[in-house]
Amino acid sequence: MANIAAQRIKREFKEVIKSEEVAKCAIKVELVNDSFTELKGEIAGPPDTPYEGGNFVLEIKVPETYPFNPPKVRFITKIWHPNISSVTGAICLDILKDQWAAAMTLRTVLLSLQALLSAAEPDDPQDAVVAKQYKEQPEMFRQTAKHWTSVYAGGPAKMSDLDDKIRRLTDMGIEEHNARVALSSYNWDLERATEQLFMTVMAKN
Amino acid sequence: MGFEVHRFQGEVDEELLCPICSGVLEEPVQVSDVLQAQLCEHAFCRACINEWINRQPTCPVDRAPITSAQLRPVPRILRNLLARLCIGCDNTIYGCQVVVKLDCLVAHLDECEYNPKRPMPCEQGCGLIIPKDELNGHHCIRELRSLIQSQQQKLTDVKRELGEQQFQINEQKREIHLLKDFMRAMRVSNPAMRAIADQMERDEVVRWSATLPRARVTRWGGMISTPDELLQVKTMIKRTLSEYNCPPHVIDELMENCHERKWPPGLNSLETRQSSRRQYENYICKRVPGKQAVLVLHCDNTHMPEDMMVEPGLVMIFAHGIE
Repeated sequence: MANIAAQRIKREFKEVIKSEEVAKCAIKVELVNDSFTELKGEIAGPPDTPYEGGNFVLEIKVPETYPFNPPKVRFITKIWHPNISSVTGAICLDILKDQWAAAMTLRTVLLSLQALLSAAEPDDPQDAVVAKQYKEQPEMFRQTAKHWTSVYAGGPAKMSDLDDKIRRLTDMGIEEHNARVALSSYNWDLERATEQLFMTVMAKN
Repeated sequence: MGFEVHRFQGEVDEELLCPICSGVLEEPVQVSDVLQAQLCEHAFCRACINEWINRQPTCPVDRAPITSAQLRPVPRILRNLLARLCIGCDNTIYGCQVVVKLDCLVAHLDECEYNPKRPMPCEQGCGLIIPKDELNGHHCIRELRSLIQSQQQKLTDVKRELGEQQFQINEQKREIHLLKDFMRAMRVSNPAMRAIADQMERDEVVRWSATLPRARVTRWGGMISTPDELLQVKTMIKRTLSEYNCPPHVIDELMENCHERKWPPGLNSLETRQSSRRQYENYICKRVPGKQAVLVLHCDNTHMPEDMMVEPGLVMIFAHGIE
């Protein structure tokens, strides 16, 4: 790893650890290996959002050319958000792409991601299904995002009606996560979700 | 890229760090222009910001559009603050304990004896200068052998080049020879051509004479009228004349005219020289650069009596007294 990248990451790692956001448990960063090429980040869901109370884990890969190129960041924790892929965790955020600037740091990246959770950009989506729901059925979106937060990010909300629908599908032998994705994608319309799931199964057979 | 912060004694102010490499600014530049117009003035290491601008022409801190032409050295006050910081030597890991002011670091590194790359002479016999850390694995014979090989290669290359040039010279010689023959034939067959050629040759001597500095003879008595023993001196004079662009058609004649037997009646014996001595001061003499000799060219001395001058001129060699 280039000297400059290692030097930067070491410093930024310390910066995050000493920052006041860490003191407030808003962001966190851990080392994955000794060479500072890979880190694990964590951000808390911002208050007054469907993500409140959740903790979202991020994979941070530092390229050899850092800080001249941005770090590669994706969500490990599954999340329902217009700018984050519900399948891969890939993030659509300008500062992680063409708007990266060399003076940005791990801390500013984590805070930007936290801000992204508060203010989605449905017109520049990473996940078209989520973005459509966000625009057309905001309440449905809120419920779904909250549900995902509770299931995957340790959020507090328990939503028994949604859980019931998932159980109906798992009882039919559908894997739980697949059931959740199908229901979320069809605005929790059990019939359409079932149809879609079995069409896929039949297509595979 | 800047200096790592941990090498410095005490705390380093955040303002002195490069936002790109996060080290202490090295060769700092800032974004500003001559007019100090609305530019952000953020400071970076020169190498860091150049690397960034190659990828993206924006300020790494505030993303304002910038160009490399807008990068200028930071103000003296910042440079002074940096120069004052105390930094540990680059060779700390090799045992150097020296801590110097940042502006003295380069001078120290040049003479730091812990520098593993410091050039050292081999003391086992070959005397080659090699980096200190390579002294251990150094093998005189092997090194010298490779040196010989590389020099042999060079020698072969030079020889080949020499052969090539010799070949070209020979070709040109043949061509010149042909041209000379041609010219001679033209002269003989055509009187008008002969007149033109003679005129051209005379003009050339006049032009050449104008490029030579005047000489002053302070002791005419130092004249050597029979320089038969001075073969070497004559060769040197001829060479100098040639180097100073003497027209080739007169050079041999001029050199022959350095002996009294070729001189005009007023000069060709001790007796006649005695009687015409008063006229010496009227000669216009030209320097033969670096030599105790003068050129007395016919074209410069048409004012002299006929018995004091010959075509195309004469060379006078002196023991001393030429300025």
